[in-house]
Formats: sequence, structure tokens, C-alpha cells
Amino acid sequence: MQTIHGYHRPADLEEALALLNRSDTPTVVIAGGTRVAAGLIQAGEVVDIQALADASISSADAHVSYGSLVRLQDLIDSEDTPALLAETAMREGPNTLRHTATVGGTVAGADAESELVAALLAHEATVTIARPDAQVDVPLDELLDDRSLLDGGIITAVTVDAGGETASARTGRTPADTSIVAAVGRVVPGGFRLALTGVGHHPLLIEQDDIERLDPPGDFRGSPAYRRELAAVLSKRVIAMLGGAV
Amino acid sequence: MKTTFTLNGTERTYECAPHESLRTVLRREGFFSVRFGAETGETGSAAVLFDGRLASAEVMLAAQADGHTIETIEGLNPPRGLHPIQQAFVDAGAVQSGYSIPAMILAAKALIASNPNPTEADARDALSGILDRETGYLRPVHAVLRAAAMLRGDEVSPVEPALIEPLVPLGGSPDMGAANSPLNLPPLAPRVIPSPEVPETNVVGKPERKVDAIKLAKGHPAFVDDIEMRGMIYAKMLYSPHAHARIVSIDDSAARALPGVHAVLHHGNVARVRYASGGQSYPNPQPYDQVSFDNKVRYVGDRVAVVAAETIEIAEEAVGLINVEYDVLPAVFDENEAISGNAPVIHDEPDMEGAHDAANNIVQHIGAEVGDFEAGLASADRTFERTFRVHQVQPTPIEPHIAIAWLDSDERLVIRTSTQVPFHVRRMVAPLLDLPVRDIRIVKPRIGGGFGVKQEMLIEDIVGHLALATGRPVRLELNREEEFISSRTRHPQTITFTSGVNNDGMLVAQRMRTVANTGPYGTHALTVQMVSGLRGLSTYNCPNKLFDCDVAYTNTPVAGAYRGYGAPQALFALEAHMEDIAAEMGMDALEFRRRNWTKVGDPLDVAAELGEGAAEMKFIPVVTSSGMDECVVQGQRAVGWQRRYDPAWLQPADRPHIRRGLGFAMCMHGSAISGLDMGGASLKINDDGSFNLLIGATDLGTGADTILAQMAAEVLGVSTADIIVYAADTDMTPFDVGAYASSTTYVSGMAVKKAADEVHRQIVTRAALMLDVETLGEIELKDGAAFAPDGRSVTLEEVALHSLHQDDQHQIMATASYVAPDSPPPYAAQFAEVEVDIETGQVTIENLVMAVDCGVPINPLTSAGQIEGGMVQALGYGHCEEMVLDESGAMVNARFGPYKIYRADEMPKIEAYLVQTMEKSGPFGAKAIAEIPKDGVAPAIRNAIFNATGVQIDNLPFTPERVWNALQTG
Ligand SMILES: Cc1cc2nc3c(=O)[nH]c(=O)nc-3n(C[C@H](O)[C@H](O)[C@H](O)COP(=O)(O)OP(=O)(O)OC[C@H]3O[C@@H](n4cnc5c(N)ncnc54)[C@H](O)[C@@H]3O)c2cc1C
Ligand code: FES
Repeated sequence: MQTIHGYHRPADLEEALALLNRSDTPTVVIAGGTRVAAGLIQAGEVVDIQALADASISSADAHVSYGSLVRLQDLIDSEDTPALLAETAMREGPNTLRHTATVGGTVAGADAESELVAALLAHEATVTIARPDAQVDVPLDELLDDRSLLDGGIITAVTVDAGGETASARTGRTPADTSIVAAVGRVVPGGFRLALTGVGHHPLLIEQDDIERLDPPGDFRGSPAYRRELAAVLSKRVIAMLGGAV
Repeated sequence: MKTTFTLNGTERTYECAPHESLRTVLRREGFFSVRFGAETGETGSAAVLFDGRLASAEVMLAAQADGHTIETIEGLNPPRGLHPIQQAFVDAGAVQSGYSIPAMILAAKALIASNPNPTEADARDALSGILDRETGYLRPVHAVLRAAAMLRGDEVSPVEPALIEPLVPLGGSPDMGAANSPLNLPPLAPRVIPSPEVPETNVVGKPERKVDAIKLAKGHPAFVDDIEMRGMIYAKMLYSPHAHARIVSIDDSAARALPGVHAVLHHGNVARVRYASGGQSYPNPQPYDQVSFDNKVRYVGDRVAVVAAETIEIAEEAVGLINVEYDVLPAVFDENEAISGNAPVIHDEPDMEGAHDAANNIVQHIGAEVGDFEAGLASADRTFERTFRVHQVQPTPIEPHIAIAWLDSDERLVIRTSTQVPFHVRRMVAPLLDLPVRDIRIVKPRIGGGFGVKQEMLIEDIVGHLALATGRPVRLELNREEEFISSRTRHPQTITFTSGVNNDGMLVAQRMRTVANTGPYGTHALTVQMVSGLRGLSTYNCPNKLFDCDVAYTNTPVAGAYRGYGAPQALFALEAHMEDIAAEMGMDALEFRRRNWTKVGDPLDVAAELGEGAAEMKFIPVVTSSGMDECVVQGQRAVGWQRRYDPAWLQPADRPHIRRGLGFAMCMHGSAISGLDMGGASLKINDDGSFNLLIGATDLGTGADTILAQMAAEVLGVSTADIIVYAADTDMTPFDVGAYASSTTYVSGMAVKKAADEVHRQIVTRAALMLDVETLGEIELKDGAAFAPDGRSVTLEEVALHSLHQDDQHQIMATASYVAPDSPPPYAAQFAEVEVDIETGQVTIENLVMAVDCGVPINPLTSAGQIEGGMVQALGYGHCEEMVLDESGAMVNARFGPYKIYRADEMPKIEAYLVQTMEKSGPFGAKAIAEIPKDGVAPAIRNAIFNATGVQIDNLPFTPERVWNALQTG
């Protein structure tokens, strides 16, 4: 059942943060709103950040920065976007969703099966979070491990290291299906940065040697043992594509 | 609160609540083209342009739209006629039910605005967020490209059938040389292989535009929910959270006390009347094991209570306030366990009627034998046996079940409902509501897909009870999750085939042992399983056959009718079994089948033992037409069958973990239930020489109204546009059993033809009088006029005016009905090409080709659409769709996404061929086409995987882990 009782569209970040941090009213941010309006996230009141958040893409020093309100389709269409991010954003959802859903919402939602979040991990993404007291830059992997870093805060930007060759491999029921397991990789000095979906409660950065020790949650699309097997096979493929030894 | 946005060019301000979606507000304001598909937004039927970009209005708050620009199809519609994009969709044959067509047209508009020269991949991506259950996406995708060409000002050629030379000469053997050189045909052209036996026609056999094209392409109000009723209230169901429980008590006081609640109904206040919910002819097949509300629940999703309230939000809140105390009972989900003798008894109530053995959960036992199976098996050179398991899937029409009921000014109950069987619903709902049939009117407007799941009296009793209880119009719409868990599904089955074969490759004995799972209610339990037996055992000739079937009650969601109706299950098992036998005997898989499949003149002997109309059947039917040989060769050519024998193709050198394969399955279906299915039609002339055709037949998007109009037009020498079709309203149209059993073209078509023949006679009589011609037989109707032998003519307008106003006045009109004595089988060859990733088990379907002999396709465009769309539903069945229950019996994936149906941007290549035969018993030579496309895809994929990997997989669907497990052990 729908539970949204109030809608706010503040004009600036300060006001948004104040609304978000009221002690008496459970409030969540909405960006594209695709998950919140679908009732997939329970909300008391919502703070729509469309009037204040940044929807621009900028690039400097081999880094690309996405304002939190950048729509996934705009990320895909931008010439500055590294290929792996465009490819995985394309897989985030169909056309109808990509024109609405945002970079900030996808990172904040951090779906366990989000290939874009995995690709952001591979690209060493840093998440800029505004809080009432300060603005902080948090590496995406840390944010995924400790979601409380986002409590009461608003993502304002996501910045990635754009360089490095990348590759991906995945298994799903059909070509556009949410992957059961997907592996993405990027060449970094001294090796590879490898990330997986479908093997934990959020996309994971992982060393190849640690794959055997994974203990993924299973569901009807893939048992834990099968997911572990996929993780090994797909990681190997990604590394081979990147010219690594397998 | 208020939200202000520019809607179709005009700034509008609307009242909205913070939680309300943009779709809710747009519909409330009368923009009915924005349609409900799923509360979580996946179907895209509510897509609009948001600042020029396609977005689902279902997953956007109305408040978010404040300050933006919204466009719906109402903004694109010209005052009359069609926008070029709409024209392209209609010409391409992309419009079936049309429920999601407005969304697709907006998608095309947004794409073309940003990219006037889109590729096929661009078009597929543009449609990726709009799920379609009907077309297989081929026609919508190419409609987008056609629209782009039209808007660029390019010349586009009309969509005409591509006529293809037959490869099998009449009575000869196939030209395999020609069969190895592929054709290169335009994607939208229906592929037709003409038969010299088929006479020339003017309207029949032509790709006529659909008669409902305008209202569908323009998103005009057309569906159940597209009306405004003063004072309408909203119903919401309370469903069981338990798979099996007794209701100890229901306390509805808090729900009733909630302001805005008008009624709360449950077993305590609704009369207990037994019924079977399957929409079937009188008397409905037993068991009668349901009541509107029971004191026991038998699956997660079973009815407990219903609330009607001023708003849907109040109704939802009230449902949450109903306090039910359950005594939870042990449950059983597996069909074999359920009938083992040690399972909980699902129907222990004393008043249930007509189950075979309720104490052992056996709803039906069906047996049929031809010859002597045991003796035949004992005599065979070789014997084979294999067991298969097929799973549970849901039809998922994009428009879920919805019904609105009210009392009209005569205080008769009107139910406007999304049904395939309006006349059955009227008769069946009457006793539950304690009303005589005469006090009930059922109206079927346009339907957003049915596929069998609406061959059911599913929610009409509920809105009826509520309208009578409250005196208010009442609306009940199932949301997507409710549609999954509480409507109807395909029967899961365990099937064992045992066959005896002689060394010459001839079948001598075949047994099909089936245990089917109907869930807790036996709706369609008897007839679906009969069709299974019929299809499993009459596709191939065999002197000794045995069908042995038990249908089990379990605590899973309820099974019922789903396009194919038992045949997809049977043919999966049969066609896998036949493939394996051929392999073990070292025979060519096609040649082994060809020796055994039924041919013209062969008896369909089990048909006399099985089937609803069997009692009526006084003779053994024989096959009167078959294009099977031609279907096979055309399909072989299209799919590139010779690659099956090429090791370099089977195992591509550059991708070591990939194996390729090609698979085949034969399909055979029926056309209507002979001796039982009846259709009626009424036809009358208007002042201008046009005609009203009133039919009880139920067009679900299939194009039935169009092909019926074509048949009338053919007889009367007019164009399809001269026939105005009004369908399915129990007060207005003649009786028809409804849309099921592949009967509309064959049975209702014959009724239309009979009525048209009689109107033809009356017109000729009048024209003879006007032209002063003595011999009626000399008058010919063509081009909208009646011609005397000497070339003089009167137009049908003159005929109409003369007969209605001038002389010896008479309304030229006729009513006719028809019951089919036969059910001539359509035949088809289904081919599949796959790639298997042997390290992960992922199967990718590259190509599906189906060649169908449906007799004479009345409209090649809609016929091709039926095959394309049916094949893609069948692809879902074989490849990715499955309802998954947890150990408590609750469905874990009652949402699109987790329940995976194919989208436009991930489709394999699909191709449909129409192989003509002249079926003399059918109208203009037609047989049925609607269901056969469901039959062969799963076994063809299975056999292609076998070809690719040598592994035989006997349970569906072919999802990666299942295939991977088989590869490990195989
Ligand atoms: C129909 C449908 C299908 C989907 N399919 C898939 C799929 O297959 N795979 C997959 O991975 N995902 C899928 N998703 C999820 C999809 O990726 C997300 O809906 C989308 O990325 C979220 O973006 P949004 O801007 O709409 O987020 P919103 O709905 O606006 O927000 C999502 C969450 O993030 C929070 N949030 C948003 N922006 C910020 C911010 N700037 N700062 C802090 N918190 C914020 C919100 O409070 C909320 O909790 C699907 C969603 C829908 C509706
Ligand atoms: S219009 Fe495609 S599913 Fe109905």
C-alpha cells in the first residue's frame, strides 16, 4: 500500500537536508522516483531534489563527474562516459526507465544486481555526499559496505576514474534479463579491478583468488553453488579479455 | 496538493495526493490512453512523453511532473484519421489488442524526433520498456522504421503478402535443392505459400486493415476501464496468506466502521452456491468445487473477503483492518504427492460435487484406449519410455482482469468485463447472484489480451455481489501481483510416454500417462487434460494407443485455460520423446516423424474417445487437409537446416565455450470443439448499403472482428469498410460460446458466412425486382452493386433505400448460427536455432521459424501476427517464464522482471510462413491458427539443445542453472 503522505520540492540543498533530517517525519529523497513511486521503497514523505540537484556531466584529468540527477540515458549518450559505464547503464533497465532513473538514485539504491554499480566500482567511483554539517567524498566500495554513511545525506555527485581498458561478461535467462551473475573488470596499474553482481547483498569488488570463498545468497535463478561457479567462469573470461593470465 | 504541467500543449492544474502516480491523475482527467499494466511500471502501457522523453507514468508521482511538459497520444491525434506513425502501425499489422499501442506510438515519436534515421536496433530499444504479449514485436519494430521513413518523406510500399512457390508439388516429393537456397523477403510481408486449390477471392485472403484500427491506434476509450461512472466505488480483495487453512473467524467490524466503506463481503454474508468457474458450455463440466466465498482457503491467493469503498485507498486500508483467524492446515504442492494417499485432503467439504475421488485429491481420472496397447507394446521390436515435467506459467495479458458492474435504469445488472466468454459468464453468474439470466447484461468492450485466462468467470460474481449490495457502480481491477497469484495458470504436468516401435520406424504402440496439477479448483481440469491426451496421441498414427490421466488437487495457484489448452504440455513431451527415439534408432529425426505423422485420410481415432464433444461424435473424423510436408520444407529452408550436419557450424572455432544447434518439432492442433462450439451472427443492411454485423464472438485483439467482416464483405461483394462490426454484448448480439478452442474463424466464421449468404439472397431478390430480371441466379454482387447479366446495375444503396423506404418494404437482414461437425487440424513445423554456453548453461535463442498450414488465412497480416506473437509466448514457456513458489506456497516472483517475459530489444529473429491448404469444411477454406503457435517452441528448443550438446533435458524452462546441471550430469 502507498505510504507517501507529503511531497516537497525544496529549492536548495540546505532546505532539502533540513527536511530530510526532521526527527518526527520519516522522509526519503526522490530523484527519478522510479523505485519510490513503484512502492519498492517505503516512504513517509518525499523530498524531490529535481530543483536543486546537478544534472551535468563534467570531465577533467581523466576523471568524469556525474551530477546526482544525471539520467541514465544522458550518461549513456555522453561522449565522456567510459564504455563500460555506458554498456552497464544500458542494462540497468529499458528505455522508459533509463530516461527517468538517475545516477544518484542508482547508487543510493545499490541493487545487488546492478551492473552499473559494479562498473562504477571497477572505475573507482567516489560518491560526494552532502550532509547538514559537511560535504564528504566517500569511495563507493566503502559506502556499499556501510550504508549508514548516507543517512541523512544527499548524494550530489559521483566521480570516476575514466581510464583503463574494461571488459564484462554475464549470464542471464535472456539477453536483457537482469544478470544472475555479471563480472566487470578494468585494467589498473599492477593488475585488474574486478567487480561482481549477484554474489552478495550489493555489487562486490573482489580479488580473483577470493572467488572460491564467496558465499552468495541463492534464489530460484541461481543457487549459491551455481553463482559461485558463474563468478569463477565469468571473472576468468573478463580477465582473459583484458589480456590477463587465466 | 496541486500539480501544474503542460499537457498536450495546454497548461493544466490538477488536484492530486502526494502518493498518486501521474497515470492515476491522467486517467482521472480522462486521458484513457495511459493504461494500467503493472504497479511497478514494467509493462510501459502507461508510458507518456515527459519533456519529450519516454517515461512510465506508472512509476512517477504526479507531483514530480509539476512544471514539466507531458504528452499523451491524445495530443498527437489528428481530429479525424490517423497520424503517419499511427498509419504505419496499422499498415504493418502491429496493432493487435491495441492496449499498449498508444505507448508504442509515443515511443516511436520520441525516437524519430531525436533520430529521423533509426536502425532496427534503435527501434527495438525505443520499444524496450513496453511489454507486448501479442505481436512478438516484429511488426511494432518495423512499424517504427516505416513511420520514420514516412516522416522523412520516403516512399513506402504497401504491406503485401510475399507469395512463395511451393517446394512440394501436389502429390510429389520436396525439391530439396531449392530448399537449400534461402529467400530474402521484406520483414513485414506475410509469407504465403499459395495452393492452386484455393479459388480467387476479393476481400478474403487480403491483408485488410483492422476494423478497430482507429480506436486502438488513437487510444480512444475502448477498454473496460475507459468509462466514467457517476458514483463509482472501488473494490479490493483480501487474499489468503496461507496455502491451506480453515477460517475460524472473520471480524470485519473495524473495516466496516472505516468512513467511506460501503460493503465488506465474505463467507459469513454471501450465499453458498456451488459452481465451476471455467467459461464453458452448459452444463459446465464438473467438479463444482467453488463458492463465491468459502470458510476454507486452499492456496496463497484464495479469496477471503472483499471491500468496496469510496476510493481504492480506503478499500485497501479496510482490507488491512479485516481480522481473520486461520487454523492453518498442512499443504501439498506436487501433483504426484497429492494423489499418493498420504496427502492432506483439499476438498473435505460435504457439499462439493463431481470430483472423481476427493478423498485422494483426484479431481478427474481420464482413460481412453484405441486397439490394445499392451499387446501392441509386446509385439514391438523396440520399446522406449521417458518422463517429462512441465511447469506452471501465467498468461499475463497486459490488461489484467477488470470488471465494472452497475444497476441500469431498469435495475438490471450490467457487467462490463474483460472476458472471452460473455454469454457463459451471464449464465454462470446468475445463480451465484440469485438473479434470472434476463436481469443480467454482460458487455465485452475491447480486451487487452486474454490468451485463455479470461475464459473464466473470475471476478464477475464479486462485482455483481457488490453492486447489488451497495446499489453503486463497482469497479474491481486486479493489480499485477494479484493477476499472478489469484487468476489462472497453465497446468503443470508429469508426463510419461511409453512407445513401441518396429525396426522399420513405425509406431505400433504408444501410451501417455499424465498426472496434472490443477491447483485447488478443477476449473478446466477435465477438458485441458483431454486436449493433452488428444494432441499427445493423435498427432502420429499408431494402431494401439492408451491415455491414462489423473488430475490432482494441490495447494498451488489455480490452473485453467491458457492458449494451447493442454497441447503445449503434451507436445513438449511427445516431440522430445520422438526426437530421442529417432536418435536411439539411428534414424533421421524428420524422416522418423514423417513416416508416422497423420496424413490426409488418416483417422483421428482417439478424438472419438476424448474431447468435450466426444459424446456428440458419431463417427471417427479423418484428416481432410494437411500441408505438413510443405511446412517442413519451407521451415527447413528458412532456418538453414542443413547446418545441423556441419561440425564447423555446430562448434564455432572462435568461441570454444559455445555449441550451436537446430531443433524441430511437429505441431498439430484442432479447430473448435466439434459438435459443441456454436457461433451466431446477425447482419442487416443500412440506408447507404453498409451493413451492421452483430456477433457474439469475442475479439481479444486477434483480429477476429476483422476477419469476420472480411467474410461478410466477400459474400456481399462489398469492401471490409462497408461492414460495421459490433461484438459481444449479451443484450444486443446473438449467442456465441466465445473466444476459445481456436473456434472463432472456423465456427463463428461459418455463422457469418451463412448469415451473409441469406442477406445475399435477399439483396439479389430485391435487385432482380428493381432490374426486372427473372432468374435470381443471374444477378451478381460486386463492387457494392448488383449486376444484371446485361451489365445494368443498382447500387446496394439503391437496394437498401428501395427495400427500406420505397416498395414492399422489408428489412434485409438475417441471423444464422453454426455448430461445427468437424475440427480439422491445422498442422505446423516449428524450428529453433540455439546457442548453448556449455560453461554457464546459458541458452540463447537465435532464430524461430514456424510454417503453419491453417487452411486459407482469411487475413494474412493478422494470421502472421498470431503466429509471431504466439511463438514468442511459447518461447517464454520454454525458455524463461516460471511461477516459483516458496515452501509456504507463496509465489516469490509475482512481478515482471523476476517473472521474465521477452522484451523488444532481446528478441531472436522470428519468422512465420503460411502454407495454404483448402479445407473444404471451413469458411473459404479456413482452419484455425490461434493456438498452434504455442505448441512447438519448447520441444524445438529442447531438441536444438540436444543437437548442440548431446544432452536431453526433460523439464522446463531452459534457464541457465537447469541446463548447467544437465550438462554436468549429461
Ligand atoms: C520497473 C523497474 C525495473 C527495474 N529493473 C532493474 C534492474 O533490472 N536492475 C537493477 O539493477 N535495477 C532495476 N531497477 C532499479 C532502477 O535501477 C532504479 O529504479 C533506478 O536506478 C533508481 O533511480 P531513481 O533516480 O529513479 O531513484 P529513486 O526512486 O528516486 O530513488 C531510489 C533510492 O535512492 C535514494 N536516492 C535517490 N537519489 C538520491 C540522492 N541523490 N541522494 C541520496 N539518496 C538518493 C532514494 O531515497 C531511494 O531510496 C528497476 C526499477 C524499476 C522501477
Ligand atoms: S498491445 Fe501489446 S500486449 Fe496488448
